[in-house]
Parts: sequence; C-alpha cells; structure tokens
Amino acid sequence: MIRLEKRVDASKWLNFTVPVCSFLAALVAGAVLIASSGNDPFEAYSRIIDRSFTSEGAFAATLLAATPLLFTGLAAAAAFRMGVFNIGGEGQFFIGAITSSWVGLTYGESLGAGVIPLMMIAGVAGGAMWAAIPGALKAFFNTSEIITSLMLNYVAASLMTYLIFNTESTWRLTEGSGLMFPQGRLLDESTFWPFSHIGSVDVPFGFWVGTVVAVLVWILYRKTRFGFEVDVISDAAPAAAYAGMRTRKTLLGVMGLSGGLAGLGGASDIGDIRHLLDPKGLEPARYGYTGIVIAALARLNPLAVVPVSILMGALNNAGRALQGPDFPAGLVGTLQGLILFFALGGEVFARYRVRVKRSPRASAKASSGDVAVATGAGQTEAPVGSPSSGEVGT
Amino acid sequence: MAGVTRDETAGILIPAVSMRGITKRFPGVVANDSVDFEVRAGEVHALLGENGAGKSTLSNILAGIYRPDEGQLFLNGKLVELNSPRSAIEHGIGMVHQHFRLVQTFSVAENVALGLPGRFSKREAEDRVAALGERFGLPVDPRALIWQLSVGEQQRVEILKSLEREARVLILDEPTAVLTPPEAEVLFETLRTMAAEGRSVIFISHKLDEVMAVSDRVTVLRDATDVGVVEVSETTPRELARLMVGRDVVFNAEDTLNRATVDWERVVLQTVDLRANDDRGNPALNGVSLELHAGEILGVCGVSGNGQRELAEAICASRGRTGGQVLVDGETTIGKDPREMIRRRVSHIPEDRLHTGLAASVSIEDNLVLKAYRAHPFSLGPLLRRRSIRSNAIQLVEQFGVKAPGTSTSTRLLSGGNVQKVLLAREFSSDPVAVVAASPTRGLDVGSIETVRHLLLEAARRGVGVLLITEDLEEALALSDRILVMYEGRVAGEVSRDEADLTELGLLMGGRSAVGSGAQQTGGSES
Amino acid sequence: MKRSAALAALLAGSLLLGACGKADEDKATDDTTNSADGAADGAVKAAWIYVGPTTDGGWTTAHDNGRKAVEEALGDKVETTFKENIPEGPEVAAVIEDLVKDGNKIIFATSFGFGDAMKAAAEKHPDVKFEHATGIPNDIKNFGTYFGAGEESLYLSGMAAGAATKTGTIGFVAPFPIPEVIRHINAYALGVQSVNPDAVVKVVWVNSWFDPTVERQSAESLIAGGADVIANGGDSPAPGEAAKAAGVAWTGYDSDQSKDFAEVWLTAAIYDWGPYYTKQVQSVIDGDWAKGDYYGNIADGFTDLAPFGSRVDADTKAKIEAKKQEIIDGTFNVFGGPIMDQAGTEKAAEGEAVDFGEQMSMAWFVKGVDGNPEGN
Repeated sequence: MIRLEKRVDASKWLNFTVPVCSFLAALVAGAVLIASSGNDPFEAYSRIIDRSFTSEGAFAATLLAATPLLFTGLAAAAAFRMGVFNIGGEGQFFIGAITSSWVGLTYGESLGAGVIPLMMIAGVAGGAMWAAIPGALKAFFNTSEIITSLMLNYVAASLMTYLIFNTESTWRLTEGSGLMFPQGRLLDESTFWPFSHIGSVDVPFGFWVGTVVAVLVWILYRKTRFGFEVDVISDAAPAAAYAGMRTRKTLLGVMGLSGGLAGLGGASDIGDIRHLLDPKGLEPARYGYTGIVIAALARLNPLAVVPVSILMGALNNAGRALQGPDFPAGLVGTLQGLILFFALGGEVFARYRVRVKRSPRASAKASSGDVAVATGAGQTEAPVGSPSSGEVGT
Repeated sequence: MAGVTRDETAGILIPAVSMRGITKRFPGVVANDSVDFEVRAGEVHALLGENGAGKSTLSNILAGIYRPDEGQLFLNGKLVELNSPRSAIEHGIGMVHQHFRLVQTFSVAENVALGLPGRFSKREAEDRVAALGERFGLPVDPRALIWQLSVGEQQRVEILKSLEREARVLILDEPTAVLTPPEAEVLFETLRTMAAEGRSVIFISHKLDEVMAVSDRVTVLRDATDVGVVEVSETTPRELARLMVGRDVVFNAEDTLNRATVDWERVVLQTVDLRANDDRGNPALNGVSLELHAGEILGVCGVSGNGQRELAEAICASRGRTGGQVLVDGETTIGKDPREMIRRRVSHIPEDRLHTGLAASVSIEDNLVLKAYRAHPFSLGPLLRRRSIRSNAIQLVEQFGVKAPGTSTSTRLLSGGNVQKVLLAREFSSDPVAVVAASPTRGLDVGSIETVRHLLLEAARRGVGVLLITEDLEEALALSDRILVMYEGRVAGEVSRDEADLTELGLLMGGRSAVGSGAQQTGGSES
Repeated sequence: MKRSAALAALLAGSLLLGACGKADEDKATDDTTNSADGAADGAVKAAWIYVGPTTDGGWTTAHDNGRKAVEEALGDKVETTFKENIPEGPEVAAVIEDLVKDGNKIIFATSFGFGDAMKAAAEKHPDVKFEHATGIPNDIKNFGTYFGAGEESLYLSGMAAGAATKTGTIGFVAPFPIPEVIRHINAYALGVQSVNPDAVVKVVWVNSWFDPTVERQSAESLIAGGADVIANGGDSPAPGEAAKAAGVAWTGYDSDQSKDFAEVWLTAAIYDWGPYYTKQVQSVIDGDWAKGDYYGNIADGFTDLAPFGSRVDADTKAKIEAKKQEIIDGTFNVFGGPIMDQAGTEKAAEGEAVDFGEQMSMAWFVKGVDGNPEGN
C-alpha cells in the first residue's frame, strides 16, 4: 500500500532541489514526447530558449506576455493564502479593463499622462468591486465563492461583449473600420503606459508596477496585522473568531485585494498592451485561469509569482513559436501540460513523503490502531518525539 | 452492598453476552481495565458511567470495532473472536452509534437493505421495513430519503438496520442524547418490546432517570473498570450515583492551605438569566444566573452536553446570547463580539484548545499574541513588531515552562500539556479580572494537570475570579470555593465546598433534585 | 529523508550530465537548421496565421486547404507553415515576429482581429509581404487585403433552401452583426424569396466565429421554433450536426461538407482560396508581388457553390445553374432592385441596385428576414 504523509519538517534544501529536479524531469519526459512525434527534441528545446529569451525582441515579448499573468497570479495567490478560492480573476480582470478604459477614453485627452494613475485606480476599484460580490455572498450567506466567482466570469465576459457588440457605448468605435466590424475605440496616446528600455529589452510599465505590487503584497502578508489575521483565519477560523478577529471583514478585504490585483491587470492590459477594450482578444487569452496555475506553482508566495509568470509567459510564446505543420498545436499543449504536471507533481514530493507498506495484514492492524487513537484518546495530535503509532519517524 | 449481584446467576443461566477480563489500552490511556460484563437474553441492561469511564470502548469491542488487548468474549456460552464489525453482525450483535452511519441520499429501505445478503426487489425491501417497523413500534416511511428525516427518525432507521440483520444483541450508545423527551419515551417502549422478544438490549447512558426507567439491570463503570452490577428494582438513584462517581477523593492539602481569600463583596463576573442556543439552533442554555467573586474559584459541574460549553461561550461572546445579561465588574456587556470581552479582561480557556483556543499551524509566538497583536507593543499602525512578539514569547515560554524547540515552532507539534501551557500563558499574562476555563485539564497527563491546577489557584490568589467548568468532580471539589451543577441548561443546584458531598453532586448531575436528600441518604444506607 | 535526498541528488546529477551532452548536440543541430534556413535551394517561405484550429471543418479548414494547394502547385519552390489557435491580441504580434525571424517572405492572416498587429508588422518589416483576409483596405505598400463576394454564392444556396422548406421558415445561425454577415444573410434571403416569396429567414446571433456548442444550440432552438432548413455563417459545421440530428436540411458555409452530411446536405457557399494563394506566392517567387485589395467572385472561381445534395430536385438545380450563369455573365446583380428593408422602405428601386459602398457597410435586413441587424 502506498501512502502520502505530510512532511512535518519540509526542509529548505528540498524546497530548492525538488522544483529543480522536477523541472529537469519534465524536460526529459518532454523530450520523449517530442521524439515520439518524430521531431528533434534538442532542436525544439533550443528553439524554445531562442524564441522566448535569447533572440532579438524575444525577452521583451516574454515580459509583455508575463505582465497580465503577473497580476492574475498575484490575485490568485492573495486569495488562496487565506483558503479563499477566488476563481474569478478572469472576470475581475475584464471589469478592470472596462473601468480603466472608460477613464482613459473619458479623460485621456484632457489630462494627458496624468490619467495613468487614474486608470490604475479605476482598474483596482472595478476588480475589487466585482470580487466583493462573491466575497459578500460568502461572508454573509456562506455560499461557495468558487461557484459564484466563476459564474461572474461569464457575466463579465458577456458585459464586455455587450459593450462592444450590442450598444453604441463609450467603449465602441463607431466610425471607420468600426463600421465594418464592431471593435473598441482606441484610447488617446497620452494614456499609453510608457515602456522603459533596459539594454535592448523593452519593459512594459505594467511589469514594474506588478513587481512593486508583488513586494507590497508580500509585506502585507508577512509583516502586517492583516497578514497575521489571514494566517490565523486560514488555519483555524474558530480560533480567529475566538480571538476577536473580524473574519468577515478580513474575508471581504482579501477578496477585494485579490479582485483589485486582477483589476489592475485589466488596467495594465489597456495601458500597456491593447489600448482598447477587446472582448474577442481577452476572452480566449484566459489570463485569469492561468493566474491560478501560476499561484500554485509559486506556492502562493507573491515574490515567487514574478519569476513564475515570466516562465509561463515564455512557455506560452515558445509554444506558439514551436507550432507548425509538423508540430501541431495539440502537441504543444501536451508539452506545456507535461511541464506543469511535473512542476506541480514535484510539489507533492516536497510537502509529502511517500511511504510504501509491505504487509497488508500489518497495515490493517496499524490503521485500526490509528482509529483507536483518534476516537479513544480525545486529543488526536501526536506529541513530538512520542510516537503514537508504529509509523511515525523514519 | 446488598443490591449488588455480581455473577450470582452465572451458574444457573447461560448469559447471552459474557465479557471476561477485558483490557484495552490506547497510547497513554487504559480505556478498559479487566472489565467483566454480562448481559442476559430478554433484558434491557444499562451501562452507566461518567465520560471517559470506558463505556464506549467496551461497547465498541463488543461490536467488533476494537479488538481487546486481553480478555475473552462468550456469546451464549461459546467463546468467539470478533475481527471486524461484520463478524459482530454475523454473530447477531448490532450497534446504534451516537453518530449515525446512514447514506443521506438513500431511502430508508435502501439503507436498511444495504449490505444484506441475497437479492430482492426495492418493493420487497420496502415491505419488509414497513412490517418490521410496525412490529417494534418504529414507524418510518420506507421510501423517505434519510436527509428528510428528523434525528429521532434516523435513529429508528439505525435500529431497524440492526433488527433486519437479526441482531440478538443490540447496543445503543447514548441514544437519548439526540432525542426530545417524548421521542425518548417512544424509544424506551421499543427497547422493552425487543427485550420481551428475548433479545438483549445494552443501553449506554449517564442519565440516572433513564436508567431507572428503562433497564432491568445496570453495570456501572468507573475509571475503566466495572464497579458493580445491580438490579434496578433493588437500587436507588442515589446508590447508582455513588457507584458512578466513587468515594475516594484526594484533596490537595497544600493547595487547600494556600487558598485565596475570596472577596465576597466584589463580583467580577455575573450572569443574569443567560440564554443561548447550541450549534444546531436549539436552546441549550435556559436562563443561567451566577455570580463570580474576586479571588473565587467557582466550579461548574455536570455531565457534558448540559449547557456548560454554551455557558462559557455565551459569557465570552464567542456564541450569540439569546437572552439575559453578562456583567463584568458590575457593568453590562453587549455581547456581540469576543473582542469586547477581551477588552474587559475576561480570559477564556476553551475546551477545544487546538482549533479554538489556538491556531494549530501558527507559531507559538504568534499564538501568544493571538488576542493582543492589535495594540502596542506588538504592532505599530498596521505593521507587526516582530521583535516584541518574539521577546514576549521567549519570556512567557520561560515563565510558564513550555517545552518547545523554539518560539517559531508550529503549535501543533507540541504535546497536549505544552499546548495547554501556551494557551494558559496567553490568557493569564493578559492581566484578567476573570477567567472562564472549560475543562482545562482534560486529556492531560498527571504532571500537566498539576501545573494547570496550580496556575488556576495562583490566579485566584491574585484576586482573579475563576469560573472552572469541569466534568471532573474531584477537580471541582479540590479547587472550588463553590460548585454549581448544570442539568439541561439550568443550574440544578449549588453547594459550597465545605458541605459538598459527591453523592449529592452525582444526583444533581443525573437530574435528580437535591431536595430531601437527607432522608433518602438515611434510607439508602439502611438498605 | 536522507535516502530521498540522496536519490534526488543522483537524479539531478544524471540529468545534468544529460543536459551537457545535449548542449553539444544542440550546436550540431543548429548548424544543420541554419543551412536549411538559408534557403539555399531557393524555396520561398510562406506562412498562415489562423484564429481557429485547422480541423474546424469550416473557415480555417478552407484556408488550410488553400495552403496545401499552394504546396501542391509550387512544390519545391515553396516552404509553407502555419500557426493555429492564435488569439487576437498581443500574441499575434509575437507570432508574426517569430514567422519573420523564421524567414517567411509572405504572411497571410485569416481573421479580422489580426489587422492591427499585421499593420504594425507591415510597417516594421517592409521586405516582407503581408496579406489580410477580410481586412480593411489601407495605403501601406506591403500590406494587401483579400476576400470574396460570398453574397453571390449565398444567393444561390438561398435558392436551394427556399425550394426545400415546407414550413416556410429557414433558420440562420449568424456569427456577428457586422456588414459582411448582414450582407450575406440578405443575399441568402433574396435567394430564398426568388423561389419561395413568402418564406422567412430567422436569424440568431452567436457573437463568435467559432463556438461549436453555442452554434449547435442556436440551430436546435431554431429547429424547435419551426425551421426546417438551417443555414450558418460561422466557422464550424455544428449547426449541420443539429440539422442532421433533427433530420432537417442544411446549407453550409466555407467548406464542402457534403460527404459527412449527405442525408441533410443541400449545398454551401464556399471559397476556394487555393488559386489566389498560389498566385500571390508565385508573385513573391517571381519578385513581382504588388499590393492589392482583392475581392474575388464566382466569375473568378474564387467563390463557388458546393456540390448539390440529394435533397435538391432537378428542377431547382437547373434554376440555380441558370442563375449562376447569369451572375457570371454579369446579367444578374444579387442586390438589384426592387429591394425593401424590414420596415418596407425601398432601398433600391426597380432597375437600380444597392451600390457597392452601401453593400460594404450594410446595417439593415431585407424584408422577409426575422431578426435584429444590431444583434440579439
């Protein structure tokens, strides 16, 4: 019988080696997959590196692809840390794009570059408000935030489509090519977020914003009273209530923070990338859902979200670069999935240890002993150094 | 002990169930210590004892869930070995647990049929369940889904399950705990019907009235062993209470001498007609009024489930109050939020230490400021002051003798005694006016129990009022200045320490009034 | 713990060794690919960017068939590639950059939403030719557009539908309320009315080019509403699946699906992108590529009608063939008057026609269409 046991003392050394090993293992498995499809794995890998990092403009494209993911990754990490499963980063991102583009369209020409901070505020406010709906439903009616936040993604997407396709709204271009095909109105150039040039690499402004925000979120969770409350609530909600913490308020705060981060991503999408509200482009991009994967890979650590989102951006760009008549999109998707599978699988080994039991009879006895410990002795926690059953200790 | 008929009839009648010298050990605990237990066919036999006396362990052994470390089991005189619940069922032993084992989305008939040998149609199963229900006075709609049924009806389904499996021995683990009094009456009727058909019914309870009302004989367990078997017709509730509670109480002389002097003029904590509901929304606290004085330890005793937990939580406002008042130092509290009571310096040591009193995965140092982190010196504006938090922890760990590898260790890794010390360190270091302590020594080893008791006495000496809620009568007698007994959400009686009598406390806990106890006591000793 | 750490170290070590070996080989393979990139044999590289999968059975399949036709026609002289499932957004720009780096000399993009990125890339890479299907004419000299007069073949398939309907209700599963689609629905409805003056074309919008689930559901709701012929303007044949399940007739779009849908198939307005693609790539090979805004038609063979299914009777077939010949001869204009809009306002009088500019920005439905030209 194989069993997973939670590691009591996940060592720092393992925290480093396991991800590295699982990444290498993913490369090996990927090579087998590529070779079996009749392609040359070495060529494929060198192409991935070339097209996502080393060739001209590749790293800039990677950073651009990483920027929205950085925000949705932070959004997911911020919520999941408290055990609040905000799956609605996608919709909150859309709403952030809607509110910030409205600000840009309305005040862009009159305010000039001064509109950029306003766009950010609008994005944060829009996303936070959208996330507050499932947050409040959970806080006051105990509904599952997973379901409600997910459903609101569809509502937000439909709202965006409605604004561009079904009304003559502020967001819609109503002249020129807009007559041929419904599309968003381009914002004034003064609202474009500036690129900075580090060497030959163009870095989007949103990427810097996201990096700073990642540090701020890290500080919030590690160094403040709010983070303390989140830790306690996520571990033991009864203890938090007992200690007089306002669980509902914190829950709403976390949802607002998470939604605000996703909404800021929406603002960055408008300011850095698209400069217009683009439902047809945003929906298939699935930034919000990818953000969840990023948060999981980053182990919900906001600082780790930065490099992980860069890797994910690179992987996405490289995936499209790999595609071709001999390398169908399905194979690329499988390869990407394989890499993620190994990365997350390695996570299991970092947190749990695998235990193989020899004799099924002995194990039956031992496990009935476990039951006895739980029911008979009231206190179920095994004290340090005094094994309560024959299985503790290696 | 004229009423005790130990093994008197063994030679004449072959008992349906006979357990001999049953011993069962769990790590650190002996749950059953060489217990002898016998049940005849055709009787309702009560298994009486306090919490932790070993009733559940013994019945779980009989139901094949645990295997005894020592001892033998005879069914109708034949030695058998039960390896699993299934083999117990095959031997005609059925058990109705406190927590039902029913599939919520299945119908009554489906639940009863589940696991039965042979094949039969749904219709057949429904007819059989209906017929069986009629025979034993257990009316349930066979087509109803479990989740649609009341708790009492679900219990009937559990009983029907055992009857359908042709159980000759039926064990019911505290069946009345979930029932209303009229429902309990119906259940008693059923139990008598089953006994009249020649089955053996084992009825586990700690309620004296019920035991007197339904059973033929009683086996009393105390401290993991059997202390007596009596015929109900030849005993009194008083004798049962005495057997259940035991006589020998060791008072701690040193602590008694160093007792605090109670300031009877100063009431630090008062409740007036306090009411609250349990987790399921039913009234659990039905108007409790009490006064706790400075330097006083006020014991609150009772069998668990009689409102003690709700009392502690309602006072500390972690449970909503549905009526009445709580006053701290003579001032009314609103009771909407535990934070208010924390501000008023009422400390709370909850029963559930590792999930309510402390956050298990959070570090020791963080748990030590679980209530105080909001203010100076542990935070500055929105930021935590880690250095103060750590030095606070280092000091408290030292002062309270917590054995831990470091202050950043996760609290779940500590032993039970050290967990409780962390909790007490936090609650006593916050300069409380009153401490509400719920079962503060339960589950601890002897050394930790001593430490905890010392801390409570020491707090009282400093003038803190201590409300000590405990199921351990010895502890209540050893520490308290006065003792209140709770029964069904009310204060059933109050006794001062000097005149406390275990028998009387046992009676009060079992729901028997203490009025006229003097006369009964004389009568009891004569029989 | 110790054991697992040792194991991990071992694994890491062996992988590193593998990686080192790999690096050496990488160099070797790089050299060979570089020589291939150098296009020593003179093959011109051409690339296609698709919004959907090549297996969509509609729009993208039709384009990819065009790409294959190029390979077949030009053989060694060309090396083609494609990128499928590319979202409209910053991703396209990265994909175009990749294709340029790979040495592609002409890049075709087949979705309207790729326009901005194509335009920017055309300005950035003047030596590469860019062609945008359904795009907006512009004045960048290396950026052309191309599309076909689908309205002509849609009129003809509408005739087949009009003859087939018994209930007099035809359901149209339409992608977006844009001039192109409205023009196509109008042409289709006019074709229906030419053989069955009282028949109605009911329109449902799905707001997507490719969403098989919603397209199918929309067709099902139209059938439930009494339609006994289904038409569609999106990229997938999902409405045909719904028609097949319900046993009602179907006129397809983009691709010939007559084999898979034999029992319900009438015909379809199709595009044959192959000849145009071949011509454009050939002109790059010859070095005489010139920017244009191509609008192909039936006379060119660019748009056409798929083979008829068994549900179309001989009489109708003859009528449609005759009408097709009139279009080719230039004696019949699909949008020739008299044409009324839904409200009964005359849009073109007898003897006149809706002018081309108006056709390109059409935002109204002709009489006999049951639907809202502004969307649902």
